[in-house]
Amino acid sequence: MECRNLWKLYGKITAVKDVSLKISEGEIKLIFGPSGSGKSTLLRCLAMLTTPTKGDVFLREECLTKPGVDLNKARARIGFVFQHIWLFHHLTALGNVELGLRRVLKLPKREAKKRSMQALSEVKMEKWANHYPAQLSGGQQQRVGIARALARNPDIILLDEPTSALDPELIGEVIDTLRDLAKMGTTMLIVSHEMPFAREVADEMIFYDEGAIVERGPPELFFTNPRSERAKTFMMRLIKRTRREQ
Amino acid sequence: MLQMLSGVATTFSISILSFLLGFAIGIFLAFVRVYGSRPFRILIDGYEKVFRGIPELVMMLLFFFGVGFYMRFPFKIAFFSATFALGLRSAANQSQIFRGAIRGIGEEQMVAARSLGLSRLQSIIYVMIPQVFIFSTPGLGSEYALLIKDSSYAFVLPDIWEITVISIYLRKATMDTVTPYIASAFLYILLTFPIATLLDTWGSRKKKQLGL
Repeated sequence: MECRNLWKLYGKITAVKDVSLKISEGEIKLIFGPSGSGKSTLLRCLAMLTTPTKGDVFLREECLTKPGVDLNKARARIGFVFQHIWLFHHLTALGNVELGLRRVLKLPKREAKKRSMQALSEVKMEKWANHYPAQLSGGQQQRVGIARALARNPDIILLDEPTSALDPELIGEVIDTLRDLAKMGTTMLIVSHEMPFAREVADEMIFYDEGAIVERGPPELFFTNPRSERAKTFMMRLIKRTRREQ
Repeated sequence: MLQMLSGVATTFSISILSFLLGFAIGIFLAFVRVYGSRPFRILIDGYEKVFRGIPELVMMLLFFFGVGFYMRFPFKIAFFSATFALGLRSAANQSQIFRGAIRGIGEEQMVAARSLGLSRLQSIIYVMIPQVFIFSTPGLGSEYALLIKDSSYAFVLPDIWEITVISIYLRKATMDTVTPYIASAFLYILLTFPIATLLDTWGSRKKKQLGL
């Protein structure tokens, strides 16, 4: 997946400012930066959940920003995990995962169920398949959210701060799940501030502020000596916070 | 008394049919009102104002004698005129009930559904409508009760044997001015109360279970 010179304006506010980014198959890239800097908007533009004001988004060879593209088809190939999870309240864990398979991929019921259960077992939630979201903890809900994104075998999964709405003691299980996905070679673009995790799995880290990429490079760069002053102070704060939590 | 029972059947079928008619049109109006463009919104607001503003009695007369004058079928049949008169107003009421529910559920569920690749219509059918229904059960319960009660206005139309008409007929036939009306009052309560309560308790139990 790739975006070229992407812009998103809300009235006079610029949420995404001339961003170009490329994630190749099997790569994991991680975006971090202060809240309100437009990270979520960027992810939503990439998934075409909001239309970018300017610029192009490519999924494999296909340009999604061209008029006349079947966006529903394109979205079916992009997994999306939301910060606030947003499971469908009226469906069980299994129902949440099945919906896309049944109605978008049009799989027969048995096939959809089989693949959903497989996705649920990948996030270790198969025992909870028949529970409603309200009967699950936040961490379990988010794992179902990941299974929902995963079940269609999308080309890429976009994760928008998948752990930041969770209680601290529930973050670990979701991070473990993401680690498993990383091991399986899933292509991912993750917005996250979980630094030890980032250092472990990310092929590239991107520091994002005020709607634009400030600095990018391998994790080691950020953990040893970020070039920009903004990244440096932000990293300091994050590392301090992580230490405090530990 | 046997006539009373056939009256119950008529009252019940008018109410259920008009409820379903109102449901189908109402849910359509509600979603167009929330997601549609400005001209549609104005049009639907107009529809709601008109149908909620006309007294039910006038509506029935209008459908049977007015519309029925030009379109003999189905409006010259009192049963259908009554059903449409009730159903179209119910659509306006139910549209408002559903609109509140759609707002209450919020944009998130829609965004999550679209992110899977579901079209807007699919998202509405598979994600929004089931939740809208659960959200709306208290309102739907009272709307149903209203339809049962207001179906009694059909007594002004000829050839329709619902509870009220039959109680009037029985009064005339038996010269008993009390019993038929008490019986009809009792039957109306019997028709409204259990179903409205059932809908309400089912809804609140479901809401609790789903954490809505």
